[in-house]
Order: sequence, then structure tokens, then C-alpha cells
Amino acid sequence: MIIKIDGKECTCESGEFLIDIAKRNDIFVPTLCSMKPVLLDRGCCRVCVVELTENSRSKIVVSCIYPVERECEVFTQSEKAVRERGMVLALLKLLAPDAKLITQMAKAYHAPELERLEPRADGGSCILCGRCVDACNLLGTSAIAAMNRGVTKEINTAFGAPATTCIGCTSCAQVCPTDAISFEETDSTRTIWNQSFELAHCEICGEILGTAASLKHAANITGDEPSSLCPKHERRNSAKSLASIYRR
Amino acid sequence: MIVTEPHQIQKIMEAYPAEQRYALAILQDIQNACNYLPEESLALVSGRIGVPVAQLYSLATFYKALSLTPKGKHIIKVCDGTACHMCGSSSLLISLKQVLGVEEGELTADGQFSYECVNCVGSCALAPVMVINANYYAKVNTEKLVAILEKYQPGGEFDE
Ligand code: SF4
Ligand code: FES
Ligand code: FES
Repeated sequence: MIIKIDGKECTCESGEFLIDIAKRNDIFVPTLCSMKPVLLDRGCCRVCVVELTENSRSKIVVSCIYPVERECEVFTQSEKAVRERGMVLALLKLLAPDAKLITQMAKAYHAPELERLEPRADGGSCILCGRCVDACNLLGTSAIAAMNRGVTKEINTAFGAPATTCIGCTSCAQVCPTDAISFEETDSTRTIWNQSFELAHCEICGEILGTAASLKHAANITGDEPSSLCPKHERRNSAKSLASIYRR
Repeated sequence: MIVTEPHQIQKIMEAYPAEQRYALAILQDIQNACNYLPEESLALVSGRIGVPVAQLYSLATFYKALSLTPKGKHIIKVCDGTACHMCGSSSLLISLKQVLGVEEGELTADGQFSYECVNCVGSCALAPVMVINANYYAKVNTEKLVAILEKYQPGGEFDE
């Protein structure tokens, strides 16, 4: 099947998501909640909206979760698409007034100033996309989730207390598009999600390997002993032991 | 009777197969039995059906029917939908606060009542509407309010 995106003819399979077809053809559509390395079809930030015409009818679709099933023509920069995207960003800016990325995107995509609405009172950078929750669930730790609803909705641990399943791995912070999850680190501890974790270091060079709890979690999954060396020394060590086997 | 013991919660859970999809039903039953969801109950449910505590907490804070703080033996719902609001639900809320001596969502000292504000309960012609447990009261004003609450006091007609 062939569809047209911004005038360019693109070949695709039926059922492929619109954004994947666009990316393959070097047509850029901004995204927030759908990003590598955690690619789940959340479809909740809506910055990837584009205009689609089919049988001379036009509509706005969310490209990261829109499966293309019929021939159509897509416009990523039409007046309507630009207006919708601007509005989405204007609203996200009110939701996450402290997020640098959102402020920059709002400017770049000509988001209107919405004077009638107030920014979220407790500020912050979270756009409530849920990527962190997905990352935590994928790891099998499920320490965080969306709490409350409406204007008080937030991502947190149950009761805002230390979660027994949290391993302090910071995967949540790494997948957050807006850097909304903060953590503190000293030489020996890392503090995240209302609790402190002991850090483990490479036995040879002292490089930080992660929290002891996260190494244990990984070891539990692979069935090995928790590692006590950094990747560099791990490699050196195994090379040495290999060499000694051959010399024998 | 209000249930609080772990083995009683265990019994509530055992009415359902140990599957994730029964999370909400189990939480609802615990809420009905205890008038709230005790902190330990979330861990018990999580242990049985395998839904992480964080996700149960998420459910508990999302649905208005669930609560993590004890609710009264009798739960008073004051409708503050458009019609009821126009007909004076706000003054009804003020009177309730005076009569019971607690804020919205709090429990009275004797554990008998708690009240909350809800949106349209679908009986706008009877505004302002108040609901206690499953009983509807129409065109409520302050005088009526005191008489109604009387029936739910210990020994009252509806206090079983
Ligand atoms: S903390 Fe980041 S990843 Fe998590 S919901 Fe908020 S914006 Fe999304
Ligand atoms: S990237 Fe498509 S909705 Fe977020
Ligand atoms: S507004 Fe109260 S019943 Fe409809």
C-alpha cells in the first residue's frame, strides 16, 4: 500500500503505525511518550498529532498509535496539525511548568499563551505520561504507579513510603522524557523514591556499579552471583582466566 | 460489625479466585466490611492475587468508593451537582459541618458519620438531595437535616 506523507509517497503494510512509516521516510514528527528505549503504545502525550485525509475527509490523528489501514494523505505541518500540536504543548506547559524540554518545545511549535488557565500549583516537570511506571513494571519491580486523580494525580510509591520492591535502579528517571524524577547520590548511597540505597563499587577500580539491591535483582533473574566488578575489569578478569586455561 | 482482623480479610479474598482481575471487587468488599482499606490489607491482597501494592494503592486513590482512611458507619453524601448547588447544597454542607463538628471526609468522634460532597445523583427535581447509605432525602434543609441524622444515631431507627 502507498500513502502520502507531506507529499512524499511512502510504501507501508496495512496496520503499521503512522509514525513508524513517517520515521522510515525521514519525516520528523515530535514525540514524548513514545520514545526509545521503552516503546509502548501509550498514546497519552498527544504531541505527535498529524492531519490525515481519507476520502476527502480530514481528521486529526495520534500518529504513534494510529494504524494505517487504507490509502490516505497525511500532513504533519498543515495549519490544523500545527494548531493542534501547539495547543497540546500549551496545555502540557501548564501541567509541567518546570520542564525545560516542554518550555522549549512550546516555543518551537508556537504554542499559544493560555492566559485563562493557571499552571499546576505545585509546579514540577512531570507530564504524567507513565513511561516511568511502564519501565518499572517491565523490570518486574512495580514500585511506582499513578496516584490520586484529576489535578492531584502524581507518580509515586504506595503511601509515599519506601517501596519494598524498589531497587533504586533509576530506570524510571532514565526513561522520563522531561527529567522529572530526581535522585541524590553520595559516594556510598543513592536516594530515590523516598528511600536510600547502598551503592556497590567495583572491587578493583571503585567505579559505581549501581545499588546493591539492583545488582541482586539482576543476579536473581540471570541466576548468577551479583557482579562485583565494572564491565572493564570483568572483561580483563575473564580474559585472564581464559588465558590460564589455554596455558595449561 | 466492622471487620479488622487479617484472617477476616483473608476470608473476604477467598470468595474470589486468586486472579488479578478481581482486584477491584476484592478491594470493594474489604471497603464494605471495614469501612476503609487498612494499610495492611493492600499487602495481603497483593500477596494473594499478585497485583503490586503500588497498583492497588493507585486504584484505592482513584475510585471515590474506596478510601484509605476510616469512613463513618453511616456515609452521608451531599449532592453538589448543578441543580443541588443552585438550591443551596453549600449551606447544607455548612450545617453538616456544624452539626457533626468535622470537615468533609473526616470521621466523627463516635465513628458514626462521615460526609462527602458528590456530583449529580440523578434526582435533580428533588434538589438539594442528600443520600445516607442507600436512602435518599429530598429538598433537605437545616431543620430536616437534624431530624434525619437523629435516625442514624446509636439506637435510632436506621442504626443497625
Ligand atoms: S515522571 Fe517522567 S516518565 Fe514518569 S510520568 Fe512523569 S513525565 Fe512521564
Ligand atoms: S508520542 Fe504519540 S501520544 Fe505521545
Ligand atoms: S444536581 Fe443533585 S441530583 Fe442532580
